[in-house]
Formats: sequence, structure tokens, C-alpha cells
Amino acid sequence: MRLILLAVLAGPAFADDVVIPKFIDETETSGITSAYKGDWEFMTGGGVAAFDCNGDGKPDLFMAGGTDKSTLYRNDSATGGGLKFTAVPSGAELDRVTGAYPLDIDADGILDLVILRSGEDVIMQGEGQCKFHRANEAWGFDGRDLWSTSFSATWEKGQDWPTLAIGTYIDRTQDAFPWGTCTENALYRPKGKGFDTPLALNPSYCSLSMLFSDWNRSGTPSLRVSNDREYYKGGTEQMWHVEAGKPPALYTAAEGWKPLKIWGMGIASADVNGDGYPDYFMTSMADSKLQVLAGGADKAAFKDVAFADHGIAQRPYAGGDLRPSTGWHAEFQDVNNDGRQDLFVAKGNVSAMPDFAAMDPNNLMLGQADGTFMEAGDKAGVASFRQSRGASVVDLNGDGQMDIVVVNRNVGAQVWRNSGAGIGGESLGHWLQLALHEDGSNRDAIGSWIELRQGEKLQRREITSGGGHAGGQLGWWHFGLGADIAAEVRVVWPDGMAGDWAKVDAEGFDDLTRGKVPVKR
Amino acid sequence: MQRRKFLTTGVALAVLAGTGSAFAATLDQVAEKVLGTWLQLALELVRHTPTYTPPVASRTLAYLGVAAFEALASGDTTLRSLAGQLHGLKTVPDRAPGQGYDAAVILNAVMDPLIHDLFSNTGPTGQHAIETLTRRLASQAAADVAADVVAASRSYGYTLAKAVLEWSRTDGGASIDNLGFPVSYTSNPAPGHWVPTSKIVLQQAPLLPLWGKNRAFAMPSGDSCTLPPPTAYSEDKGSDFYVQAMEVYTTSQNLTDEQRSVARFWSDDAMLSYTPPGHWIAILGQVVAEKGLDLTAHVEALARMGVAMADAFIGCWAAKYQYDLIRPITYIKKVIDPKWEPMLNTPPFPEYPSGHSTQSAAAASVLTSLYGADYGFTDQSPAPDGVPQRTFTSFQAAADEAAISRLYGGIHFRPAIENGQAQGRCIAAYAIALKTRV
Repeated sequence: MRLILLAVLAGPAFADDVVIPKFIDETETSGITSAYKGDWEFMTGGGVAAFDCNGDGKPDLFMAGGTDKSTLYRNDSATGGGLKFTAVPSGAELDRVTGAYPLDIDADGILDLVILRSGEDVIMQGEGQCKFHRANEAWGFDGRDLWSTSFSATWEKGQDWPTLAIGTYIDRTQDAFPWGTCTENALYRPKGKGFDTPLALNPSYCSLSMLFSDWNRSGTPSLRVSNDREYYKGGTEQMWHVEAGKPPALYTAAEGWKPLKIWGMGIASADVNGDGYPDYFMTSMADSKLQVLAGGADKAAFKDVAFADHGIAQRPYAGGDLRPSTGWHAEFQDVNNDGRQDLFVAKGNVSAMPDFAAMDPNNLMLGQADGTFMEAGDKAGVASFRQSRGASVVDLNGDGQMDIVVVNRNVGAQVWRNSGAGIGGESLGHWLQLALHEDGSNRDAIGSWIELRQGEKLQRREITSGGGHAGGQLGWWHFGLGADIAAEVRVVWPDGMAGDWAKVDAEGFDDLTRGKVPVKR
Repeated sequence: MQRRKFLTTGVALAVLAGTGSAFAATLDQVAEKVLGTWLQLALELVRHTPTYTPPVASRTLAYLGVAAFEALASGDTTLRSLAGQLHGLKTVPDRAPGQGYDAAVILNAVMDPLIHDLFSNTGPTGQHAIETLTRRLASQAAADVAADVVAASRSYGYTLAKAVLEWSRTDGGASIDNLGFPVSYTSNPAPGHWVPTSKIVLQQAPLLPLWGKNRAFAMPSGDSCTLPPPTAYSEDKGSDFYVQAMEVYTTSQNLTDEQRSVARFWSDDAMLSYTPPGHWIAILGQVVAEKGLDLTAHVEALARMGVAMADAFIGCWAAKYQYDLIRPITYIKKVIDPKWEPMLNTPPFPEYPSGHSTQSAAAASVLTSLYGADYGFTDQSPAPDGVPQRTFTSFQAAADEAAISRLYGGIHFRPAIENGQAQGRCIAAYAIALKTRV
């Protein structure tokens, strides 16, 4: 895709002032009409998967519908234009869908979909042109019949097929005393060109988000699991060693892991503080957390800096409702292209819980030069008061500006186009986007780290599959450059080998194939 | 069918005698199961309803206990109603003379609306569970019972529940806003007073600062059992305050495995457990089962325990906000060791006295008065995170351990524990003095 940014921008001002981007609500004209519906079994979930299923370079959207059938929306947006989508038959229309994640499981260059359900999970093999067919049987995938709520994927060392982790929630049959009935999370390891019998990740504590992430840059990602304390007994947040050829094993107190009990609902990760390691934001009810590595790479200990850094999202900041917040999907992206991580949190009451905010606006917290965050959701125009669940912060119209799509419970999803300018007419920063490719089974290089250098400044981004709340994206990886019109980039590939630094110009989409120089698309 | 026959006879006897004898004949396993199931749900809802901090839990458990007692007392001439003995409860509805009633149906009709109302703010799963049990228990309670008895029993139960709920509305604790944390709060800036200890926005104000002003159940008021002021605040190394802080600090640095187990076992954290009053109600349930106590003895004990613990929290909270004392974590980080972290999470309210110490002493005093000073037991309550069950030689021994656990956990100084226990015993005396038998 050749992208041309035609907007004539005034010279970007990149002092320490944070530019609040102006978002335009284009829900009504977008063609997106999905709502995430259902009662008790659909109080959680409601994810959206953003990925390119027809090869046009722009992300299409697959939305969970709960008791309604899921919908795949083809992205018909013109580059830099309004957001336009068309619901298309895909073969992936299923009911009882809670979420979905894209992944090229069979390394054919076409993204597949792992669909989570309150019921049997289904893997849909991508055929191209946004068509899918069921692959459970062909790939030996046991979808079980549980209430699935979280997902992550990795490629273990020496394997040519991915390992999937799927987290589940409450035993739906225990309707009088459901507490303490968390069903088993499972690890699906490869067996030939398919999956082995799922391996139980016991104990399981009602996971609403999980993420394979290399927290200490050891070269082997671990599985972070965020759990809903509402339903477990004796549970805690978890992190699993998942090492090739070994059974999964929980991190222990001796390794530095400390019990943390939250209403864990979503995980976002990014190197926020620039220490070279991923930091983690976990959504919850009234007590969301932002964890940074506390004791170095040798100790799995994290410190909560949410309060100190104002990355807090614990109470509504607009609308006048002072009751505590309920957070769901969280995602770090750079929405104003200033080279700093911003944090979007989709929020909304579980149902009608009177002790939590009914008017609970989504958060858009902008990274500031001192490392703290500044709330700007209302000023930016994305402070929806609907009961939000899943979301994606993604460039939907190929203009380099990160747009936002949110799935809401029982009412329609919403989509906002990033105008590419600040609310006062300021220019946003420069940007570039990269897609990673390598030969072999892990074609999208899940587990890589992209490093982007601007003089002394280094941005690092871990390429992961999973996390958020019930949905994720795979495709272009976006970086804001601030005032710079180019940057140097390299990739530390999943096997730990670092590629060469290469200069990449701003305002473009580059394919970065292992062993080759970046190529503009 | 056996129960139906029993009831038919019972109704006849009631008509003839107009006494509680017919009612006594229906005190069967169904009624105990109905009560036990609702109580079990109540404990789970305490664990899973966001406003249910320990004081709030104690209040609800008190109303449930009193209501269950009155449900039986209204049909048993050997029992004496608590109306006129508890503040604000002037009367309770009477049963219709000559009408047959069923204990299980009445208890269900009482507990159902109380649970619905007192946990009306629980989440969708709690609501789902309440509705499920409403359907299930109504059917089970009424099985094999004559239709007229079911109708009369339900009607009476609903009427009694309504009366109890109306009574509850005026005690000052019926409405919990913002999960119990004031939206704005001005801390006392003088040294030695409470300051926030949490990184949660909500908890920058302390929990339920007006709870001590609530109407008490049996004791005259929140300040009926006063306790001496805490140790005078000082940061001097030779001061008593410094010494008591050093005790917490050095203890925390040298915790034995046993002390860690004690601290964890009694942590009873809000939103992660039944809370301290729920823990003691679970102990009561265990004792009832172990001793094979009948339903009447069970509801008598529930009422006394509930009243004692609810009053204990009112008295304790009155003192907490009278003295507004700094927590160990704040003092020790400032004066002794800035890197110190206690084993337990510090609760978001003033230190003196210790709530767990006060209410555990109150609960143990009631249990001791009912079942003796040497009742040994192994606590079967759900223990947190795999902590082993603990065995005690008496209720008092359990309460003593619950109290000292707060020092091991690093969240209380010793005077808050010892004086809190004394306060709890004083408060319990009012509940013990209630007359439940004619």
C-alpha cells in the first residue's frame, strides 16, 4: 500500500506540551452496527479482532456478538478518509462468541482466527478474501465446552506450530454457588501440524486476560494471567514459566512473585518507562494497576506505579458520576505520534452494579515527558458512557493516525477516527508503521522486539499475541516519531538474533523481512 | 409424605392448643436446610458484594439473625421476642391465632426478601444466585406442606421481613455510598493522626467515618464501652509510642512460620473472605452441627452473635474516629525504616482500636456464654490461600489469636489489640443479657 499523507500540517510543536488529538465519532456513518448482547454469560467478553483479511493493507474487524452472531466487517475506508465498513459473509458467523484473536497458525500467510465462546471454542482457518472455515478437527483442536474469556499465543523454541493458551471463567452449571468454580485454563502445545491434548494450567482462577510476554528479556516469554478475584478462592494474579519441553510452572515467591488480588479484566503491555522491559497495565474495578519491573531481570517482582504516574483510571474523570470505575480492554499506543506511549481503557459497568459508576467514560491517558499520564478522553472526544468491553486502537484508514473501535454491551459498537490534528489545530507528530515477516512457521514474528532509535532515544516494542480484553490485533506496528522525519529501526527476532539497523522514513508503511532491508509498501 | 402428615397433625394441634407445640413439631431438617442455605449464600454475598466491609457485614448478619429468631419466637411460647429489647424494634408482627404454620416456609419467606434487600447492590452473579435459590428453596420449603399452611406461612414471613427491613432503615447504616469512603475528607494534619495508606483513589478517605454513630442494637450507644486513649504520640526513641512501634517492626522482621500462618488465617480481608463477622458466623454454624443443636438454639445464637458483633463494630468505629490514630506502616516508614512493608495490607481507616480484636472478643464472649469456656474446636472456615486449619482449646483462645494476628500482620500496635478485646467483651455483655427464653 502506498500511503500519502496529504494533510498540510503546521510544523509540529514538540516541546513538553502534550498535544491532545481530536477524534471524530464516525459510528453512524461507519456501517458498524454490532452490539455485544446477552445476560449473565455475556457480562464479560465482547472483544474485537483487528486484522487484514483481504490483503488490502487495512485492518478489517471481527466483532463478538454474544447471543447475536459474530460479524466480520470488511474495511472499505479510503486512505485518510472516513471510516467505512461493510459486514460481509465470512463463514465465521457464530453465536455465543465472547472474543477473538488473529493468528497465522498454519503459516500459510493468511491470518486465522481463534474464536472464544461461552461454549466450544473454534479455530477458523483463513482462506483469504475474508473467508474462513472451521479447523478444529483438521488441527486437532479440542474446543471444550466452557466459558472462554482470554487468549494468548507464542511459538516455543524448536516448534513449527504455535502454542495457544486459553483462559476460562466460571462453571456455568453452578448457578446458585458459582464462586470458587473457576474452570481450567489450558495450554495447547503443538503435535505435528496441529495441537496436542490441552494441558491444564492448574490452578485456574477465572482469567479474563492472558499474555505471553518476555518480562525480563530472557528470550523465553512467560504467560501472565490476570484473574477475576470475584470468583476465585485462594487465587491471585499469576505468571507461568512456559519453557519448551517442560510442563508449565508457576512463578514462586522465591523468584520474587508476589500475590496480587484484583478484579483482573485486561492486560496491556509496553515499555512505558524506557527501561527496556515491558510494563503491564491491568484493568480492574476501582484498583487498576500499572506495574513496572522492580528488582531487575533476575527477580519477577513488580511495583505498582499507577497512582504515582496518574495512569490510574480508577474513577470517572467526566460526567459527574463519582463512583468507582470498571475497566476492561486496555491498550498502549501512541495516539498523538509524540513518541510516548498513551493508554486507552474501555470502561463500563458490569451490568447495573449500583456501587460502580453507571456513567463511566473510556480513558485516553496521554504520556507526558516526565513519564506520567494525563487524562484526555473527554477533550479528545472518546469519552463514551456506554458499557464498553473490548476495543482496538488501530489505524483503520491508513493515514498513520491511530483510530479507536470499541465494542459495547447490549448497544452498538463505536468507532472514532483520529483527525490527525490536535483539538486546538496543532499538528500531531510524524509516524511510521512496520510489518514483520520471517520464514518458517512464525511468519509474523510473534515474540520479536522492534527497536526504534532516534538519536539517544530508543523505543522498544514487544510483538505479542493476546492480552487486552477478549480481542487483539495483528498487522502493522505503529510508532510515533515526534518531530523526526525518519528513524533507525531493527528487530530482535524471536530467536534472539538482532537484525541490522536500517533507516526508515516517516509517513510510510514498511515491510521488514528478516535478513532484508525495509521495503516501503 | 411423612412431612405432610406431620404438618396436618401439627395444624390440628395448633388449632386445639393455640400454642407453639404444633410449630415445634415442624422444626425439621427442611427448615434447617433452608436457613443454612440462605446463610451460606449470605456469607458468599458478603465476600462478593463491594460494599461489604466488616462493619457492613456485621450489620446484615445481625438483622438476619434477629429475623430468623423472631420467625421462630413468634410461634413458640417458650421463646421471648427481642422486640422491646433491641433499640428501635418496638414490636414484631404476630401470627394469626389458630392458623397452622410451617417453620421452613416461614424462614424462607423471611430470608428471601431480607437477602434480596440487604444485598440488592450485589453484582449480576450474586443476583443470579439469589434468584436461583429463591426458586429452589421456595419449592423445597413448601414440598408436602398443605396449601393453606404454605400461604399463611409465606404471608407471615413476608410481613415479618418487611417489619425487620423497616426497622433496619433507620439505624444509620442502611445506605452505603461510594463503597463506604467519603468523596471528600479532611485529615487531621497534626502528627500521629491517620493518613491514607493505600494507592487506590477511593481509599484516600477512611472507611465509614460515621459508622460509630449508628443506632446500636443492644448496648445503649456507640460510646457505651469506652476504652483508654491510645499511647501518646511521639517520635522520640525513648517514648512509649516508639517502643510499641518497634514491637510491631521487630516482630515483623522475625516472624515465625506459625506467626505467618496465624496472620494469614485471620486476615479475613474484605472482598476476599467472609470478613471477621462472617468468619465467626461460620464458626457458629460449625458448632451447631458438631453439637447437634436444634433450630431454636441455632437462631438464638445467630441473633446474639449478630447483635454482639454489630454492636462491636459500632463501638469500635466510634473509638477509631474519636482517636484517629496513625497506622504502623505510616509511623514505621517515617520514623524507623522507610522500606518496611507489613505482611498484611493495611486497612484504610484509623488504627485504634483493632476491629478484629474488638469483634472477635465479642463473638467469643457470646459463644462462651452459650457453649462454655472450654469448647475446643478445629476451625473449618474457608482458610485463605491454603493456610492450614487451626485448632483452639476455647472460643477465647481463638479470639486471642485473631487479635494478636493483627500485630503479626503489622497493621496494629499492641494497645489497639488488648484494649480492643476489653471493649469487645464489654459490648458482648449487652447481647448476652438479652432475654430469649420466657
